[in-house]
Amino acid sequence: MTRLEATRLVLTAAGDAPVVASLGHPAYDLFAAGDRPQNFYTWGSMGMASSIGLGIALAKPAARVFVVDGDGALLMNLGSLATIGLLKPPNLTIVVMDNGEYATTGGQATPTAHGADLEAAARAMRLDAATVRTEDDLGALLAGGRRPIVIVAKVAESAPTAKPPLDCVFIKQRFMAAIGNPEEAADAAGRA
Amino acid sequence: MSERPAWAAGVCAGLHAAGCRDAVYVPDNPLSHVLAEMRERYRDVRLTLATREEEAFGIAAGLYLGGRRPAVLVQSSGLGNSLNAVTSLVIPYQIPIVIIVSMRGDIGEWNAAQVPMGRAMRPILDAIGIPHAAIESPADAERIVRLAASTAFGTRMPAACLVPRRITSPAAPRMPSAS
Repeated sequence: MTRLEATRLVLTAAGDAPVVASLGHPAYDLFAAGDRPQNFYTWGSMGMASSIGLGIALAKPAARVFVVDGDGALLMNLGSLATIGLLKPPNLTIVVMDNGEYATTGGQATPTAHGADLEAAARAMRLDAATVRTEDDLGALLAGGRRPIVIVAKVAESAPTAKPPLDCVFIKQRFMAAIGNPEEAADAAGRA
Repeated sequence: MSERPAWAAGVCAGLHAAGCRDAVYVPDNPLSHVLAEMRERYRDVRLTLATREEEAFGIAAGLYLGGRRPAVLVQSSGLGNSLNAVTSLVIPYQIPIVIIVSMRGDIGEWNAAQVPMGRAMRPILDAIGIPHAAIESPADAERIVRLAASTAFGTRMPAACLVPRRITSPAAPRMPSAS
């Protein structure tokens, strides 16, 4: 299973739901899998994707929220698992695309390449978690009755060929409008 | 039970009046008064603990994307922990967040480890373009917080309120005995 194949499965499961992508290759693959307004592409803030997803999930409890993270990125913000483990938002799903490398920066090995276990880390923070290696298993978990909050998808690197829009404010405003919080309406409410 | 300090009541009143119903925090001693006041008097404000200040900004950004008006409560040392998320997420995506900064390292500081970041706080905020104002007196707290919130939500930028030690620790701290 390549990361792009796994990302396509996340998009299929998401339907109209928001998807937050970590910077670099995960965001590039989300764009390649299918650009849509409900995609929030980060261009920086490595490690923050799961935190952003948590914030959206808390703000919109009726929406299902997906995060496409990377192994290197999640290792940069492991405390996020403790916070999410404390709150256990039932509407949040984090798919960690674990390719064992910092692919965006040239393929340096991450600790997961040497056995660091992100599923075990999530479980240690009292989160339901699973590791999958095939498209069938990932698709079943994304669609099924059991919905672990953290899914570690062991993926092969798939060199991205396209990049999302660079305009951060465009990404934000398109995203907010698509999930029902247009910024202009927020301003009007603030002035009223 | 010690009486709740007026500055903390003012911060809470200001955040609430500005429509903030979410505050993400990493605690410190002065902020404990803000948290207690919120829990007691503003039960409609959701308080979310983060393990690290950078994470708090990520969560707050998500809350804003989801339609909320977030505040972040941190100590000045922790704002140093946050700079990558602030400068590569919050500022370029123009995400408004009211930041309440409990100051360390300013006048009244007794811990040398707190001084360098405390002294650098304003120059750093200026360098990355975050507007900031200090709460000069307890009676001023609500007004300053409301002004910061207007700047944040009006201009879609983070804005910071600095709470100096002379406000949060009005009594001179006892020094270790030289004996």
